[in-house]
Amino acid sequence: MSAQLEARLRQVLAERYHDKHPFNVRMHEGTLSREEIQTWVRNRYYYQTRIPLKDSVILTKSGDPAFRREWVQRIHDHDGVAPGEGGLERWLDLAEVVGLERAEVESLAGVLPGVRAACDDYVRLVEERELLEAVASSLTEIGAAEIMKVRLVAFEKHYPWVGERGLAYFRGRVEQAPRDAGWGLAWVLSHARSAEDADRCVAALEKKCEILWRLLDAVEYAHRTPRLSKAAQRRPDPQDGRATVVLPERAVRLNASGEEILDLCDGDHTADAIGRELGGRHPEIAGVVPDVHAFLADMERLGVLESSPSAKSQAPEASEERAT
Amino acid sequence: MSAPRPFNLIAELTYRCPLRCTYCSNPLDWAQVRDGLSADDWGRVFREAAQLGVLHVGLTGGEPSVRTDLPAIVAHAAQAELYAHLVTAGTPLDRVGLEALAEAGLRSVQLSLQDTIPDESDAVAGGTFFARKLAFAAWVRELGLPLTLNVVLQRRNLARVTDVIEMAAKLGAHRLELANVQLHGWALENRAALLPTREQLDDAAAAVHACRERHPDLEILFVLPDWFAGRPKPCMGGWGRSHAVVAPDGSVLPCHGARALPLEFWSIRDRSFAECWGDAPGMNAYRGEDWMPDPCRSCDERTRDFGGCRCQAFALTGDAANTDPACSLAPHHDVLVAARNAAGAEPTEAVHREVR
Repeated sequence: MSAQLEARLRQVLAERYHDKHPFNVRMHEGTLSREEIQTWVRNRYYYQTRIPLKDSVILTKSGDPAFRREWVQRIHDHDGVAPGEGGLERWLDLAEVVGLERAEVESLAGVLPGVRAACDDYVRLVEERELLEAVASSLTEIGAAEIMKVRLVAFEKHYPWVGERGLAYFRGRVEQAPRDAGWGLAWVLSHARSAEDADRCVAALEKKCEILWRLLDAVEYAHRTPRLSKAAQRRPDPQDGRATVVLPERAVRLNASGEEILDLCDGDHTADAIGRELGGRHPEIAGVVPDVHAFLADMERLGVLESSPSAKSQAPEASEERAT
Repeated sequence: MSAPRPFNLIAELTYRCPLRCTYCSNPLDWAQVRDGLSADDWGRVFREAAQLGVLHVGLTGGEPSVRTDLPAIVAHAAQAELYAHLVTAGTPLDRVGLEALAEAGLRSVQLSLQDTIPDESDAVAGGTFFARKLAFAAWVRELGLPLTLNVVLQRRNLARVTDVIEMAAKLGAHRLELANVQLHGWALENRAALLPTREQLDDAAAAVHACRERHPDLEILFVLPDWFAGRPKPCMGGWGRSHAVVAPDGSVLPCHGARALPLEFWSIRDRSFAECWGDAPGMNAYRGEDWMPDPCRSCDERTRDFGGCRCQAFALTGDAANTDPACSLAPHHDVLVAARNAAGAEPTEAVHREVR
């Protein structure tokens, strides 16, 4: 039973862990731009801030002092046991090293809406599911040590400007992740008693992999260069002059902000640059950057905009389907 | 009353068509309606419609590509800044002809397909067209035009709805209209052959649901037909409300079938498009809600279904002002139920569209 479950969980990771996401693949190949690394660091910080929150939720679900003694260690790892210590501080070091303002990253103001939604889904998953599933969802840590090692080599080789101070977080995780993952896996295997338990653990881990994948989808999108889709006709409305985009079967009317954003969708500006440009033009409005990204995603879904399909991220199942 | 703004112009360039589909919604006397408008006439219609607020024009028929002046008609639509959409059976237009239309400003294409099995598709269309249609779909995609596939679902092909969806995905369609057969024109004549069973429809709905997840990028349209839903369809988005049809002879109509009703419509050969749309007695006959009888007039659904289909009310009850008998609340609903039961009890062979 437990050997079978372990094999299934490892299979999930082999197929769906985010080490295969195109963005991580490019990171490890050394082809990310400095701006792309900055976007990743700024947004991944939001994920880091959610980790102690979800671990705190997990603590509330266990009546077992031994479990809590073990699990509370994860919160110490992230928050430190004194000011200036811990994984969150090390991540902010990384942020500074890649050229971001520590305070800006810490404020979470520039976090992309897709990243926020994915990370919030993780906390919600842990809140809503039983302890067993919550712990199972943390087992992406099984893959974490390996990805950290690959990343350290890649950064030293391809992004030497990041320097040793920026790599401290990754080095720490190389030690922590296998310990946590080993303990978590053993606990899951000994507590999943029925076939239904096993199915729920597998489903929770799949969900967690999907969340990590979505996070990178959103980060990657920030560097795509949207442009008016070939099928779209942009024109003033014949009656009131409002900017309108006509598509097969539908028409989309734009307000002034929408028009301002679409003006920058020239296939040259990245989504990230468009957000920043608009943020700079309207400093009085809070949350411009996330709003711009949400708008761009909506417009792409409606077919108003398109961005280079070559950079389009494929979900793992889809890429597998393609291979067969 | 002041006429509402039309958004969509349906330009029926001709009723002629090389296909003879059993479900054709063209009028039974289609052969008596001549192509009365030149390319320049259509250009005038497009300019006047654009001034009134129209954004989309669907170039349809019949088969619009039997008109040799189609490139000029498309160019007129583009000059009027209308979004030109071609609704075609994929023949006789060839690849060179399609390229010429794209150059003239064609924006998107809807291709009809009758089935996924070549012999079955050709049997419905009344000729050998299937292979040509697949080639045509590939040309559309090669030219980078968005492709909508339209498949009329009826008794003979409903079981293959999954195959239809897979074929649409393979052909690179961005949208698939699974159009449950509407019983107008020839289709009403052939209803005993076309009408599906409730069980077939439920199976098809389940199959569509299962396929949606597999093809998130394909927009799939599937609506339970009004003959089975107990609810009338929001026909044309309301009578004379957002869609204008211009028939081959220049008549401006609220829908494809309204010429069969005893109403006075006007022709753009005699008047401006604005007059034909806004002031013709027929166009105003069923606009708004004042014409509605009970139970429509006090029904909350009236703002969603607009009282259903006037042509269906006329065809089944003899009075276009009656509540659409497709509605389970309609006084004449039993007429539709009887027609449905009769058709279901004795399926017959469909006859192909012909000259009458």
